[in-house]
Amino acid sequence: MKKGSRIRFSGIVLFGLVMTLSLMMLPALSEARDIKVGVVDTYSGPAAVYGNDALNGFKLALEEINKQGVLGGKIEFTTRDEKFKVDVALAMAKELVMRENVDVLVGTINSGASLAISDGVAKAEKVPFIVWTAKDEKITGEMGHRYVFSTAENTAMAGKAGGVGLAKKPYKKYWIAGDDYAYGHAIADAAWRNLKALKPDVEKIGESWWKIGEPDLVPYLTSISAAKPDAVIFCTGGASMTNCLKALKATGFAAKTPSWIHTAIDHSVLKPLGAEAPEGVMGTIQYLFYYPETPENKSFVQAFEKAYGNPPGFPAFNAYITAQLIAGAYKKAGTIDKEKFIDAMEGLKVRSPVGGMVEMRACDHQAVYPMYFGTTKKLPQYDFVIATDIVTLTGDQVLPTCDEVLKTRKK
Amino acid sequence: MLKNFSLKSLFACLVLLVILLILPPILPRFYTYIFSSIFVTALLAMSLNMVVGHGGLFQFHHGAFYGVGAYAFALLLYKAHMPMWFGFIVAPVIAAFTGFVIGWFCVRSTSLYFGMLQISLGSLLWAIVFRWYSLTNGDDGIHGVPIPSSISSSSNAYYFILFFFVLCLVVMYLIHRSPFGMTLQAIRDNPARCSAVGINVRRHQLMAIVIATFFAGVAGVLFVVLEKSVFPDLLFWVLSLEIFIMCLLGGWFTFAGPILGAAITVALRTFAGIYTEYWTLILGVLLILLIFFLPEGVMGFFVRKFGKRGGEEDALGRGEHAEG
Amino acid sequence: MTYDLSAIGSQFFVGLSRSMILFIVTAGLSIVLGVLRVPNVAHGSLYMIGAFSAFSITKLVPGATGFWLALLVAPLVVALVSFIAERALFCHLYQREHLMLLLFTFALSLILGDLVKITWGAEYKSIMAPKFFDGSVSILGASIPRYNFFLLIIGPLVAVGLWLLTNKTKLGKIARAAAVDREMVGAVGINVSWVFAFAFVFGCFMGGLGGALMAPTISITLGMDHNIVIEGFLIVTIGGLGNMWGAMVGSLIFGLTQAFGVLFWPQFAIVFPYTAVVIVLLLRPRGILKSVW
Repeated sequence: MKKGSRIRFSGIVLFGLVMTLSLMMLPALSEARDIKVGVVDTYSGPAAVYGNDALNGFKLALEEINKQGVLGGKIEFTTRDEKFKVDVALAMAKELVMRENVDVLVGTINSGASLAISDGVAKAEKVPFIVWTAKDEKITGEMGHRYVFSTAENTAMAGKAGGVGLAKKPYKKYWIAGDDYAYGHAIADAAWRNLKALKPDVEKIGESWWKIGEPDLVPYLTSISAAKPDAVIFCTGGASMTNCLKALKATGFAAKTPSWIHTAIDHSVLKPLGAEAPEGVMGTIQYLFYYPETPENKSFVQAFEKAYGNPPGFPAFNAYITAQLIAGAYKKAGTIDKEKFIDAMEGLKVRSPVGGMVEMRACDHQAVYPMYFGTTKKLPQYDFVIATDIVTLTGDQVLPTCDEVLKTRKK
Repeated sequence: MLKNFSLKSLFACLVLLVILLILPPILPRFYTYIFSSIFVTALLAMSLNMVVGHGGLFQFHHGAFYGVGAYAFALLLYKAHMPMWFGFIVAPVIAAFTGFVIGWFCVRSTSLYFGMLQISLGSLLWAIVFRWYSLTNGDDGIHGVPIPSSISSSSNAYYFILFFFVLCLVVMYLIHRSPFGMTLQAIRDNPARCSAVGINVRRHQLMAIVIATFFAGVAGVLFVVLEKSVFPDLLFWVLSLEIFIMCLLGGWFTFAGPILGAAITVALRTFAGIYTEYWTLILGVLLILLIFFLPEGVMGFFVRKFGKRGGEEDALGRGEHAEG
Repeated sequence: MTYDLSAIGSQFFVGLSRSMILFIVTAGLSIVLGVLRVPNVAHGSLYMIGAFSAFSITKLVPGATGFWLALLVAPLVVALVSFIAERALFCHLYQREHLMLLLFTFALSLILGDLVKITWGAEYKSIMAPKFFDGSVSILGASIPRYNFFLLIIGPLVAVGLWLLTNKTKLGKIARAAAVDREMVGAVGINVSWVFAFAFVFGCFMGGLGGALMAPTISITLGMDHNIVIEGFLIVTIGGLGNMWGAMVGSLIFGLTQAFGVLFWPQFAIVFPYTAVVIVLLLRPRGILKSVW
């Protein structure tokens, strides 16, 4: 080619390249694509019932959200089973972020896994991660950061709710017992801290800790009875809690000594026990399908039962709110961008499935909603035991203040 | 010592090494991460095989030493703010020391008792790590261990891990072929005859355990470099059983079998996990098929089929193992 | 804090009842270990299937009849499952390395675990003992729940039954002989493979019985197989490998140290079983009673 035409040729190629590049770099606004959510949770082992419940709540919310769509596309999701193992959870979270290129990570019931993913994947890869069942207060507390959010009630909230509820009761000598792992001890510390602050004359006369999943709690209960406390704070959950409730009934402990257990009034725990669950046990939880009897709650429960055959539990509640938050934040951000999403999440208020609004607090990325304190009782219209004498504690009453939380992060 | 390692095998290894070296720039970051994970797991499986395959010991709780190495490294960096090189050297030594203490108790027993005592002692360690919140954070684990940024990225971590993996493999191979290693295998095959000839069987086995647990500690350190987290699951007996299975899967009397076992297990867990939550069922079925059709493990099968690759593996590994 | 005698008494009986159930579960493990010389990692899964089967049976047949029926039928279900696994797959491996048999039981445990999830789902299940067992019983001033008292009776009955089976019946004697010297048994003309089959199936039957008996006291969940496996292994080891009375001794140590540990040092209950095992094995490395082989 002659020199002149070569330059012309190169010029045309260069021009074409520049045009193509500019077209490619046009803002994503013009592209409508689906939002991808990666879910890491436990679908095997004793915690699986909560993983399934959360996923069902999430799916129900998405069905309604996707009818109108978000930013021109739908919200789709993919799940991974971590089998309650932290190393598996980490590997799967990395796979979701690096291979599936999800926009948001969501999960899990395992606190250790949540903390590991929060630090190793969310913070490292700058991908927002919303924890929806794990209750460790460190997640949005001491180990919190810009890329992690929580829609779960954490141990600080549960402990405060318990403390507030118990401070109203006349009991003085307390025994504390529970599952010997981080969650158990965290609930114990939070509950005791708050109770003591509100009612200084309470006294802790002893502690017992059993391995998580311990099947036979009768020896522990008989030895606690021997010490004759006024009341007992049990720090357990899930399958361990069912064992605990069974033992409480079998030994007649529940009838003699009042106990408080966070999530004692959780339906997944009470349902299998049917009419045989112990009565008179106090508990706290953030969602009950039979209370409050608002039209929103009724329709939520109806839709859930129609789709999945059983009423929703608290993980479904948390996950439903998570879906609403994701949709709401993207709509507010106006684009599928991780940083803008995070900015939009802060301070966002979405509708709660029971009516009213839930806020995603900006200072620590913790969702704010009320907790219920109730006592178990068998009522004739249900096959199972439910909570009665329910007291509602608003979000502000149970959450630690922004200052308290931010102080722990500075350490 | 090295003369038995044929030129053809050496060439094959070098080719493999070159391929591994050029992978990170061409593979997506996730696959780089998976390869790194395989290297760490393979090193752990190889260290176990030193005592199981070559030593004939029922090391049922090897994971405890891996966990000790990982926690020691994490604690030194995170809580004591020690420089990384210090942690890197001290942590495997701590793991080896733990191996020495536990091993000293275990070698007094044989076969299944050895394994059971180790499970109890190892589980005691697990319970301590799990319970001692002020030191180890219990089951919350320690996260955000300060790894220097020079080896933080996916590819840099990959090269760092690959380097030490290969280094450890070379050292393990030299030990395997040394008089010490040969004696160990002789002890595996017939301890009575060895001690009749004047070999101190217990001392030999204990030394093998110390060496193997040192390498397990190195694997633990590399794990922390990759994930920047530690948690008590690392010391739980389920993980130990999994590593044991990796050795059996790959072929426990070949040298490199466990690497293959580790690779298969990690790959299966990751990729089957994408499609189904029942990947343990698939693993179980795979193992059953393996037991029936590939009894010497995958590597063992290849060694037998394709002849004397790598020299003496055939003559050494097979044949009657002494009972227990 | 002072403990009165009745509290200690209660704790003793409760610990004893726990030992009884541990014995029933681990006796099966011990039999398999003794005769086949392989630690059955799948024992926990079979225990779990026993509990889940008991649940299904009580759902089909409500009330007290359902419960007693479950105690009878659930172990049979487990025996059937183990029989199928044994005849179809396991028996072909008897000539192989022990580690291969161990690997097989591990693979079986993985498969059974997921099959339970597929069959019964992930929700918690629970069964209650019949109304007859409500309330407590008073022994020498100490009170224990009625169901635990029931276990205190069942345990020794099972032990006596097992003793009769292994010492007084021909089948039992052959099984014991095969545990000690399988080649000799084969040489005498007895089909060793069928002896193994019987031992394996019976051992698993016991595991299933343990699961069904345990079911009213716990929540029936996925993952209950893992919990029992390690305890079972530790018990048979300290008792003496393959020795059924060893399983009894081991269970007693386990159950009682836990019960008293819980009474006196409740904060550290998690470490008791391992500590007890470590102490026993350091003093008597081959277990307390003689191993069968």
